[in-house]
Amino acid sequence: MNEQNSTVMSKVERYYEDYGIRARELKKEGKTVIAYLCSLVPTEIITAAGLVPFRIRGNVNEPITKGDTNLETIACPFIRSCFDLSVKGWYDFCDSIVIPHGCDSMTRTYSTWRYTLGLPYSHFINVPHTVSGPSMEFFTQELNTFTKSLGRFAHKEIADSDLTEAIHLYNENRDKAKALYDLRKSDPPLISGTEMSKILTVGMSLPVTEANELFAEVLEELTQRKEAPIHKAPRIMVDGACIDNINFVKLIEDSGANVVVDSLCIGTRDYLPHTDVGGDPLDALARRYLDKINCPRTYREKVEGTYEKDLAARFGDIGSLGKEFKVDGVILYVYKYCDPFGFEVPARKAYLDSLNMPVLYLEDEYSAGTIGRLRTRIQAFLEVIE
Amino acid sequence: MAEEQKKQERKKRRTATEAASSIGPMVKEFITGTIRAKAEGKKLAYTFIVCCYDEILGAMDVVPVWTENFAGVCGAKRDAERFLERAESQSFSRSLCTYALCGLGFDQWREELGEMPPDAPWGGQARPDFMLSSGQILCDPRNKWYQAAQQYMPDVPIYDVGLPYPLYEDDIEVADVQDYYIKYIVAELRGLVKFLEEQTGKKMDYDRLGELVDLGERTWNLIWETYDLRRAVPTPMGTGDAMNTMVPMVFMMGTQEAYDFFVKLNKELKDKIAKKEGVVEDEKYRLLWGGGLPSWFALTDFNYFNSKGAVFPVETTYRMIEPIYRLNMPDTNDPIERLAWRWLGYWTYWYDKAKKRPGSEPDVERLIQYIEDYQIDGVVMHEAFSCRTWHLGLIWQLNQLRKIYKPIPVLILGKDGKKREEKRELPSLILESDIIDISTYSEVDTRNRIDAFIETLEQVRKNKADLR
Amino acid sequence: MSDYFAGIDIGSTMTKVVIMNDGIISSIIGPTGPEQRRLANKVMENALNQAGLPFEAITYLVATGYGRINVPFADKQVTEISCHAKGVAHFFPECKTIIDIGGQDSKGITIDHGRPTDFVMNDKCAAGTGRFLEVIAEALGITIQDLGGMALKSNQPAQISNICTVFAEQEVVARLAEGVPLNDLVAGILESLASRISRMVNRLKVANEVVITGGGAKNAGLVKALSDKLGYATLVPPEPLITGAVGAALLGKDIVQKAKKNSLPLERKKRSLEEIEIL
Repeated sequence: MNEQNSTVMSKVERYYEDYGIRARELKKEGKTVIAYLCSLVPTEIITAAGLVPFRIRGNVNEPITKGDTNLETIACPFIRSCFDLSVKGWYDFCDSIVIPHGCDSMTRTYSTWRYTLGLPYSHFINVPHTVSGPSMEFFTQELNTFTKSLGRFAHKEIADSDLTEAIHLYNENRDKAKALYDLRKSDPPLISGTEMSKILTVGMSLPVTEANELFAEVLEELTQRKEAPIHKAPRIMVDGACIDNINFVKLIEDSGANVVVDSLCIGTRDYLPHTDVGGDPLDALARRYLDKINCPRTYREKVEGTYEKDLAARFGDIGSLGKEFKVDGVILYVYKYCDPFGFEVPARKAYLDSLNMPVLYLEDEYSAGTIGRLRTRIQAFLEVIE
Repeated sequence: MAEEQKKQERKKRRTATEAASSIGPMVKEFITGTIRAKAEGKKLAYTFIVCCYDEILGAMDVVPVWTENFAGVCGAKRDAERFLERAESQSFSRSLCTYALCGLGFDQWREELGEMPPDAPWGGQARPDFMLSSGQILCDPRNKWYQAAQQYMPDVPIYDVGLPYPLYEDDIEVADVQDYYIKYIVAELRGLVKFLEEQTGKKMDYDRLGELVDLGERTWNLIWETYDLRRAVPTPMGTGDAMNTMVPMVFMMGTQEAYDFFVKLNKELKDKIAKKEGVVEDEKYRLLWGGGLPSWFALTDFNYFNSKGAVFPVETTYRMIEPIYRLNMPDTNDPIERLAWRWLGYWTYWYDKAKKRPGSEPDVERLIQYIEDYQIDGVVMHEAFSCRTWHLGLIWQLNQLRKIYKPIPVLILGKDGKKREEKRELPSLILESDIIDISTYSEVDTRNRIDAFIETLEQVRKNKADLR
Repeated sequence: MSDYFAGIDIGSTMTKVVIMNDGIISSIIGPTGPEQRRLANKVMENALNQAGLPFEAITYLVATGYGRINVPFADKQVTEISCHAKGVAHFFPECKTIIDIGGQDSKGITIDHGRPTDFVMNDKCAAGTGRFLEVIAEALGITIQDLGGMALKSNQPAQISNICTVFAEQEVVARLAEGVPLNDLVAGILESLASRISRMVNRLKVANEVVITGGGAKNAGLVKALSDKLGYATLVPPEPLITGAVGAALLGKDIVQKAKKNSLPLERKKRSLEEIEIL
């Protein structure tokens, strides 16, 4: 079996290339589509309200032509691309925009988004910066405010049972994503990094029930794969913020390596952590989105002891994934103007150094043109770690 | 190297007010004062301005080391480059906040040497005993800078103070959410007090804190009244000076010294108004500094504006106060709660106004109010490439303003009940550079833009005169 | 029959070819050619003529540099990072740090026994590369070859504050008009470039010996400024442009020898000496 004659992979391909195709169809059927940015928006709440969550994606192949009229060029280049596509009407099937307090580039442009797009509904979720008793209580209240506000828009009282059901669906989705990741542990992996990126990106554009069906189909096909579609090669982990395209991963794989795992927003950062079940659903969601999603925008209190211990507490998940997936090297990929990740680059490098894990740090600008120019560095890195 | 940099230092900038000209030594005293305090065994805290808890530090006798200030001083002395380069060599991207980069470069150097880097500006930035990060809704670097600095000072602890405020929403009132915001902020501030007590081995004296908060509140009111005097035509004080008088406002809140400073400034402005003494002799254009931090190395650009007859009677930048009596503060004697309400009240001050104009937004309302109150002819903003906090959303705000201040004549209902035609065109200018990274600044280019803007203002003035 | 190994380093402006057996038997530097159509094959032919060898005599050919991809006459492509490491170690066995200043990019490489251990690269912005000097030389109406000597005559280099090439050009012209002596301006420009390169290189663990290669190494003023900024004495190979090509040839030699030692077949491509198309 190969990718070409696989019906499910061609479906993934279609959803990836025509991103939002399902949301557009659902909109035509009368559904309400809630667009959002970033992994910090609890899509469970949107689903519980009976609405369709849709993650806005940028496009590295599309030059920014209209967005700059309303948004400064010193914003994160990924956010600029998302905004540009939205202004150009790529996502005109959406009825709303939900933006969390992920970073300054999102927060400080919230007004610009809501007024420029002129959508019937918008909401900002204030995510605190620390993980503590009071911040968790605050965040639960903030999620309650969002739930109520969204309920008013949807003309639906969102009950705890709705939330619980949505939480189950998303946890199922994360189980399936985990199963897909497990296919990458063999050498060579049963699924390429490029394929995986497509699947995970597409998952963010679908209602969770459809995403679950799609992932199940993919799993069924892939587990029947007799041989890997790719050769044995150095095993690479990609670490960074939001990569919502295959270009970068493909460039690494074209350079003679296999991307076997990641620490990315459209990747393990968002796809692996579960929401706890059994207790109050909003409490559980607050815990997942504030504590379990390990993003540098959230400050984690320094663990007593050495700086090395602190690094291990902050980045231990990256190290564990590296070991679990037996990676030979890490490529740390950070966008220009990204303050949350940018200020961590030396610390992340120091941590990976401490594990004797070779690391290549690349700064980029979210465009296919600049990604292509990284080829020599990636090839040289592969030569270095060989 | 140091010799060259000294040569680059500029002659002292001319200020309009005497009060503003007294600020230089004050800032120098901050910095040398922290080094002295360190030697005396006092506890030093790295901290950020506009932090909500100035008075708490004061009541605990903790000496604040304002790291943004030190970076600004390096910038103003045109001596930031070598620290920025250090940070860059540490793998920090040059696209990040340059205040933080400058501070990190300096700290790394100081820690590597075990003493101040050679020829450190004003003696250098002292090593802190602890660092207070600020988990505000604005400014990512405030949450990341000290954590990054810990790489060079692993023994220096951090307390991260969560200080959110709600963003403006059409369907939500501040009153709907304020209880849990206040509860969280209060918890964070009490956590800070506990942290400081642990670090200093002293107990908080809440009576003293109460007095300082009182003093702080009186200072807020005084500053507001004082700045409001700048409405006068000709204006007695411009934004160039306000970039100096911000020092007692944001570095010394809750001190008698700050209060006294504004008493003096208040008197000086009233004297000038009585004598009709303006920033410039022949005031032609009144401009609003509508957003963006200034380029600290190019404050003389304000004098350049002045040389063309343009003055800035008002600015949004570093006007971090509103009249306390208008903030809807509840009656409470708990100084921590008062600080929390003051914080929330400040950030949501313009929300009510925005509600009254559908499609508007608090930042835009504030600009409109200033434009009307201060009889503004044009808006100038600065886009500093390295700071997203204060420099995103500015273009959009200008676009919103253009919907009100249209370049075509509009009918206005006068106070006499009669309609008259008026041109409300409001030209704007966005300067582009940075807060302290001089390598992005071109004086030739900046002044060309200012010249063209002045020509536009002149044209608009003529058009308006023709209409009358 | 003895084995011959060739290395071809196709840079953005210059193509370098080296043919070796036990030592270098020919080396040629020629322009890469007009845009899009790289005449690297001509440089290769010249090198073969100089060595008196037919193309078929080359046992193994490694291509490197910006234009290494799709070289129809190479057996293998290796990045310039590995090739410089190998080539510089051939001339300076004790070298630990390489700084290569090319026409369109500059890079720093730390090496250990001829193998790269870490590297940094700038190719996004002209300001840290030879291109910066070209622009400035043109603005000052002097040739790029004169810059180094002029800078060495200056006692008081001018302070150039702008990093951006366009702004720096404006600044230089303005300073010239102010009457700043030309030698001081040139020295200031070289210091500014050296400072940019050194802070990139400082991201690595710089150690002795430090070797400078590429076109920038031919500029004595730049080499001096860079040594001063880094705080390390620097060495320059006799022909700083060919270290990449030498390294490429040597890497080819290693591959052939390894195959022979292990009695494995040598993986070679079907190659033909023709023009290269690069988009």
